[in-house]
Amino acid sequence: MRIANRRRPLSILVALCIVLTGVRCGTAPTDQDGKDGNKIVVNFWNGFTGPDGKTMAAIVKQFQTENPDVEVKMQIIPWGTYYDKLTLSLAYGGAPDVFIMQAARFTEYASFNTLKPMAPLIASAKPALTEKDFAAVPWKATMYHGTQYALPLDMHPIGLYYNTKLFKEAGIVDDKGQAKPPTTLTEFLDDAKKLTKDTDGDGRPDQWGFAYTFQHTNWLTFAHQFGGDIVTPDGKAGSMSSPACLQATHLMCDLIYKYKIAPKPEGVDSWLAFRQGKVAMAMEGIYMLSSLQQQPGLQFAGAPVPQFGPKQGIWGGSHLLCQPATISPERSQAAWRLMRYLSDHSLAWGGGGQVPARLDVQDSPKFQEMTVQAQFAREKGYVVYDPQIPKANALNQFVDPAIEAALTQFQTPEDAMHDADQRIDQLLKRP
Amino acid sequence: MIKFLNRSQIGLHIPMLILALLFLAPLLWMVSTSLKTSEDIVNSLGALRWLPHPLTYANFHEVLTNVEEFPVWRWTGNSLFISLAVTFLVLTVDSLAAFAYSRLKWKGRDRIFSILVATMLVPGQVLLIPTYLLIRNLHWFDTYQALIIPAGAGAFGVFLLRQFFMTIPAELEEAARLDGCGPLGVFRHVILPLSKPALATLGIFTFMGTWNAFEGPLIFTSSMDMRTLPIGITIFQGHYGAEYGQMMAAAVIAALPVLISFLIFQKHIIKGISLTGLAGR
Amino acid sequence: MSIAIEKTQAPARAVARKLLRRDDGWAGLLFALPHLILFIVFLLGPTLYGFFISLHQWHVLAKEHPFVGLSNYKAALGDDIFWLALRNTAYFVILVVPLGNLVSLLLALGVAGVKRFGTFYKVAFYVPVVISIAVVSVLWQWLYNTEIGLLNLYLKTAINGLRHMGMALPPFQPLPWLSDPHWAMPSIALMSIWWGAGGNMILYLAGINNIAPDYYEAATIDGANTWQRFWAITWPLLKPTTLFCLVFSVLGAFQIFGQSYVLYGGGSGPGRAGLTLVLYMYQQGFSQYEIGYGAAIAYLLFAIVLIFTGIQFKLMQGREEK
Repeated sequence: MRIANRRRPLSILVALCIVLTGVRCGTAPTDQDGKDGNKIVVNFWNGFTGPDGKTMAAIVKQFQTENPDVEVKMQIIPWGTYYDKLTLSLAYGGAPDVFIMQAARFTEYASFNTLKPMAPLIASAKPALTEKDFAAVPWKATMYHGTQYALPLDMHPIGLYYNTKLFKEAGIVDDKGQAKPPTTLTEFLDDAKKLTKDTDGDGRPDQWGFAYTFQHTNWLTFAHQFGGDIVTPDGKAGSMSSPACLQATHLMCDLIYKYKIAPKPEGVDSWLAFRQGKVAMAMEGIYMLSSLQQQPGLQFAGAPVPQFGPKQGIWGGSHLLCQPATISPERSQAAWRLMRYLSDHSLAWGGGGQVPARLDVQDSPKFQEMTVQAQFAREKGYVVYDPQIPKANALNQFVDPAIEAALTQFQTPEDAMHDADQRIDQLLKRP
Repeated sequence: MIKFLNRSQIGLHIPMLILALLFLAPLLWMVSTSLKTSEDIVNSLGALRWLPHPLTYANFHEVLTNVEEFPVWRWTGNSLFISLAVTFLVLTVDSLAAFAYSRLKWKGRDRIFSILVATMLVPGQVLLIPTYLLIRNLHWFDTYQALIIPAGAGAFGVFLLRQFFMTIPAELEEAARLDGCGPLGVFRHVILPLSKPALATLGIFTFMGTWNAFEGPLIFTSSMDMRTLPIGITIFQGHYGAEYGQMMAAAVIAALPVLISFLIFQKHIIKGISLTGLAGR
Repeated sequence: MSIAIEKTQAPARAVARKLLRRDDGWAGLLFALPHLILFIVFLLGPTLYGFFISLHQWHVLAKEHPFVGLSNYKAALGDDIFWLALRNTAYFVILVVPLGNLVSLLLALGVAGVKRFGTFYKVAFYVPVVISIAVVSVLWQWLYNTEIGLLNLYLKTAINGLRHMGMALPPFQPLPWLSDPHWAMPSIALMSIWWGAGGNMILYLAGINNIAPDYYEAATIDGANTWQRFWAITWPLLKPTTLFCLVFSVLGAFQIFGQSYVLYGGGSGPGRAGLTLVLYMYQQGFSQYEIGYGAAIAYLLFAIVLIFTGIQFKLMQGREEK
């Protein structure tokens, strides 16, 4: 009886082990063995969950049909944990052969010598591939200290999405009867006022002319239009409390509290509200296009962001393709073939909601047919990325709360930005 | 009946009943939301309706069958396997050790035990970073070992069992010794059989604690397949965030196994906690 | 016992005494060994290793991790966000420990006092405890929702109802439970009390049931009412339980992590109001990959907890001696 008592948990455990043997009592998922039979295996990581991922998967599948000697194992990791996994794999092993790197994070990884230089591969590419084939801004983003560490895949600027139905209802149309998006601050404020309505009379608007969605990109867009940025041009100090940035921040607050055309950003999912037709205008990246295309009954269009300040400027980002520094030459070649293919076929990628970095694709008539993307591409001359310094991502822990504090009036813009700059300076001074 | 109906009892039951309903209300709302369609969720808000109308299992269906994105069954299997394994490990290792610290004499026993007790004050989070590096060095990252083996290092179980073992009368041990039993014999034939309540308590605690563990699984695993159910909930959050029907269905699924186990074993669990508290003094 | 029996037992007891005085030699160590090995490798070792890490500048991707002495600690003490996290954590402790224990005690007194349905009440109050923090947080995030959460809905109904009846109340404004910096920590505290009250209730209940009924009978005979019986008998005799509960409540409260992590998706909450020490450590160590800095924060937390626990012990012991 004694034995039975002690053995019972043991036997349950053994039974479970057998049952769960379908389960791998195993080790980390990615394997570094290069070959699978006669095929060379290329591990490809990206963060494209949702419709983006399906677009990418289709291109990859096409690549495999045309390149039967290569097997691509694609892993999609949600952006929230993507960089965690990537960092740990680069530090401790199991890194993929090709991975997507957003331009905002690029400098950080390059500075730790984790990326493989791309210049030799690009130089020996056939047919030839040079700087002239790519849009200037994404190309520049692949450089660190003069060495090129990535191949640019696309560019995703922020743009203005607007609800054409609400615009027509408010009478904001051009002479052809099409909804007319604003291009200046005055037009924007006029339009937004007409589009903010309180339909049930409870004193709180149910339809808003505008709403802030991703505060980080929204703020940077306003800031660039006044000539401001997170850090000074030399990247050595914070500049969030510069006059330009403060002006931009004050304007953003005025939209909420003075002109009352945007809701206070708290506890509300504003992108959802735009999708549900409760908000008439929103500034978001081109990559949000598919979430709108899938919203039944939503009539929308895209346009360049209005100019709120003395300059033209918008936030933008890029997806870059990178290889790890420790990759073997053989796998590097195979990985390069995939990278080249993705670049050549970036029109299909553009369809998913991106502006391809390849100029020949951007200028092609097929791309021009993608109206929203083409509209957003008009901004390419004045796209500004996140600061290209190694600590850019670390700074966001101060930048984003400051923006939120200012917009929700938890602090005055001056206090919030001043605090942010103090902490940014502290962080930048640390080795 | 008279005892039940007297005024002071009713005066006590009324607030107690209200409090009990207040405590249960969130859980009832969680279940009710999980059984409502999304239109119903929005509609029932105006009327503050608790009963779903219509009653739908669609949320559960969606959450349970979307296995590609959310391998719920795998997560549940992981939680079950890991919880059982840790319970087994802890019961074995801790009972042997508790015996050594309570009924055996050996050099350094008390000094080592006081170090054990002292470490009970160390916040677990202090260990997260160094244990993480250790697991990396052992190549245990993202494996079951990482979630099972380190869990056996805690001193709480040893402490608890030692307190209990000390209450076992010495005469029984003497009798066994006189019969020729060595320490192992005493352990098997005297201590263990008499310790069933304490072992059961420790076992149930360890099981529930491991099932609900959050930081360990969060940090020591990363792939979808290796996640446990509580971590799975946060993954659901990332996807279903604003879809409360599915979110609550996921929450119900995550809470159900422990809830059912609790309701079955509640008598033992509650008795066991009392023992812990009394032992802790 | 009769002398005859004593005489026959004497030799057996002499042998027993000899056996008890024995040293079990290696057996003791062998029994303790499995646990000790795990303890040293996974508890003691990491505790010391963590301190070692905190003395280095250690970024996960960096090739070198130079020794920097105590400068991580200095940086933390000079980091105003560290102090903010400490204040938030202390605020949480102050909100949750006294109030939570009070609630637990009252519940325990209630359960001890009812003559029927005791099990129902015990189970009802304890059920939240068995649920994981992830589920609790997700559930309360739904309850606390500003527009459509249950709490605000009932408040709206109550306020509108009262206004309808003629009371001069301002129109209902939804309470920003999780989105306003001033409300964030109290909301987290309320949720945590709901979650944990049942646990301490059981302990208080055990303590109450341990008090011999004779005391109460004697007091009733002397004419004491319920209130007096509580203060004269229950409260003093519960001291050991109270001390135990308070010490472990404080210990647990200082380590709060899951609530903020799940409610704010790993972020710090509005105006960083949800940032606790452990969350800050997690962010620095596992999001920024500055492991050395993260470890320093963890050890500062450890030191704070030790000091706090020490103070608690001294206070309670002082009162006991009185």
